Amino acid sequence: MATHSLQDMRQQASVAAKVFIQRDYTNGTVCHFQTKFPSELESRINKQQFEETVRTLNNLYAEAEKLGSQSYIEGCLACLTAYIIFLCMETHYEKVLKKIAKYIQEQNEKIYAPQGLLLTDPIERGLRVIEVTIFEERSLTR
Amino acid sequence: MPGFSSGGVGGGVGVPASAPPRPFRPSRYVPVSAATTFLVGSTSLFFCFTCPWLSEYFSCVIPIYVAVIFLFTLANFSMATFMDPGVFPRAEEDEDKEDDFRAPLYKTVEIKGIQVRMKWCATCRFYRPPRCSHCSVCDNCVEDFDHHCPWVNNCIGRRNYRHFFLFLLSLTTHIMNVFGFGLVYVLHHRQQLDTPHAVVTMVVMCVAGLFFFPVAGLTGFHMVLVARGRTTNEQVTGKFRGGVNPFTNGCTRNISHVLCSSQAPRYVGRSRSPQALDVQPPFLRPPLTEAQLEAKVLDNGIQNDRHSTRSKSSLDPTESQSADAEPPPPPKPELRYPGLPRADTEESSLLTEGPTTPSMYKYRPAFSSPGRNHTALTHPSKMIRGDSLDSPSPSILQSSRQPSYRSEPSSLDGTTVVGGGVGARRGGGDRGEGPGGPGGAAGVIPGGMSGYSLAGRSHTSYPSSLVLSTGGSHSSSLRSALAANNPLSTLQSEGTTDTSYKSLANQTPRNGSLSYDSLLTPSESPEFESAAHELSPQKPRAVFPSAGAAGQREGVSPGSPLQGYTSPFLSAQIAQQREGQLLQGSATFSSPHRAYLRAVSPPPPSASGAPEIQHLLQANHNSSSRGPRNLSSSPGGRSLEPPVSPPPRGLSLGKSQYHVGEAGPQHRPPRASGGGLVVGGGGAGGGQQAAHPPLPP
Repeated sequence: MATHSLQDMRQQASVAAKVFIQRDYTNGTVCHFQTKFPSELESRINKQQFEETVRTLNNLYAEAEKLGSQSYIEGCLACLTAYIIFLCMETHYEKVLKKIAKYIQEQNEKIYAPQGLLLTDPIERGLRVIEVTIFEERSLTR
Repeated sequence: MPGFSSGGVGGGVGVPASAPPRPFRPSRYVPVSAATTFLVGSTSLFFCFTCPWLSEYFSCVIPIYVAVIFLFTLANFSMATFMDPGVFPRAEEDEDKEDDFRAPLYKTVEIKGIQVRMKWCATCRFYRPPRCSHCSVCDNCVEDFDHHCPWVNNCIGRRNYRHFFLFLLSLTTHIMNVFGFGLVYVLHHRQQLDTPHAVVTMVVMCVAGLFFFPVAGLTGFHMVLVARGRTTNEQVTGKFRGGVNPFTNGCTRNISHVLCSSQAPRYVGRSRSPQALDVQPPFLRPPLTEAQLEAKVLDNGIQNDRHSTRSKSSLDPTESQSADAEPPPPPKPELRYPGLPRADTEESSLLTEGPTTPSMYKYRPAFSSPGRNHTALTHPSKMIRGDSLDSPSPSILQSSRQPSYRSEPSSLDGTTVVGGGVGARRGGGDRGEGPGGPGGAAGVIPGGMSGYSLAGRSHTSYPSSLVLSTGGSHSSSLRSALAANNPLSTLQSEGTTDTSYKSLANQTPRNGSLSYDSLLTPSESPEFESAAHELSPQKPRAVFPSAGAAGQREGVSPGSPLQGYTSPFLSAQIAQQREGQLLQGSATFSSPHRAYLRAVSPPPPSASGAPEIQHLLQANHNSSSRGPRNLSSSPGGRSLEPPVSPPPRGLSLGKSQYHVGEAGPQHRPPRASGGGLVVGGGGAGGGQQAAHPPLPP
């Protein structure tokens, strides 16, 4: 990748480590991530902030999996239309997933990227882990 | 039979685990084509030949009603066939900690107070979430795995279980409709039975009648499963038999969850959101608190080494679905670890004392590391430490313990860290996997190692208690005995005796199907290295040398070839038994062990635990055989067993299903495999595997 000469003097970030926040299965298979603050992030981010993020994500996932009126209606409609409705309509879960993706993007932009961290949307990992990438400064010398 | 690949009758050789371009196997499509043909063909004939008269004679509502039901059936059939069942994408490289050689095969989590094991999937490179299982036909881990259905040629998992269930319901209704209205037609045309219409109607009725019983049986079976909140996998492997199902929320909630929950998202094939976020320094840092500053001072950067030591090789040849989340042996009291020092001190001591590695455990590239074996070996010593700090243990043990223990706290965090460039090892997971060095005293890590992740409250599974009690026993005997556990665990994929290491699991030829031959010829296998010293290697039954070693050590002759394995439930019971025996300081470790090995053959009279084990086995067998039969709503033979397709060959579940049932029969003179098929999980194979020859026991 060609870099401008000025950029040679800039500091770059490189991936130093990855922390994986695992799922918390104490309540069954509902999607719930552990809110325990990983020690690796102690120096990188505020504990409350991080736990707040994870808690919000947990709430969003709970909302996605909720057996509410919307999911009932959706199910009935799908049965009645022989599931053709799925071609047109987005499921409730998918809608919430979009919300979650937006939330994570926003958190990354506002809070985590400035502190050298990056959250990966857990859906990319099959909702098994929240991957937190820790970046470190690395200066290029020329 | 070990080593055969997944797939149907025409199954070929296994494919590489990580990147499945699967060979085209036309035999897989036979059942689904047959099902489609019968369904569409018979219904079309019905519409063409029977319905005109019905609509004339009665009303046109009838064909419309039948058509609606048929359409619903077809829609659900298509969804069940083509929908992604909830496949997990393969884990990224980074997620799999660098040092997967020493991570345990099992991690235990507590779900509503019940210990559930998560098994490491060598193919997919992660610990399978609860209720997840790896399907060897599809070569994927599937969420909430129910079974692989050959009639739709797809796994039934979280996303499509509802469609499968509705398909069954609607198909039963449709068959009844077709049969019923056909009967009406025939009864009205008794005098004209030679007309083509009547003949066709009768043929359709026969087909409908033929399919009615297995389909209705399966429907009834699944209705019970839904009400109980169990998957077919769990039912058939008897995971919660006699125990509590942690996944149930009550009958109503279970039913509404199946029928009314929102469609779960797919994990693979998602359009990636363009995360064009540019992470650029300078980075802000939060202000350090006092405590953090203090910790910083104490922590000499050892933290990164925390993940040093758990062996994760697995001799488990197959990805047994039954072994996945079955309740591990009951938790041992926390008292076990009163004397365990904190991680910090262990870390520092690790730095000061290097682990010593006996030559026999030198690293072998072929199998990651014998050191793995050793880390396993150290596990028992770890466990023991809490109990009897003054028990004579080699200094090697102590040094080895520390690193392995040190790895514990990280697992407790529930997070795992992959150090970027520090050579950080995998953290968490089992305790007691010290570095390779410690001598045989630690013994091979039995499954205790396995499944010891401490996210929250976890407990070591049986083997650790085993080790615990045998802390003082003769080191070599322990080692050989435990070494025997290794192959045992691979054969059985049970937690009780696994000295299971992820790295060995990762080296399975593909999708978890590991042939015994590849497992270990004694010359290759580090695990058997030690055993080999005591025994003459016996290929291909690598198990037996070690089993024999254990036996010889204790003056017992090598056992007969291990056939099949006991159910997870049973192994938990056996674990308890052995634990009880061992905790009494019995040095006759190998006796119950041998009895366990021989669980499916007449146990040796000397082992006190053996009769109990056999009894347990029989009890298991009986109850397991009773279970599916009771669920089957129709009388009759084999075909009436709840037709659940067992995972294809190569999957130990397939074997295990048969063996769970066969464990009993094999106590007696070997029976025809048909007998094995009927009972327990084996029965599950009856209906849906009709197209395939029964697996050899």
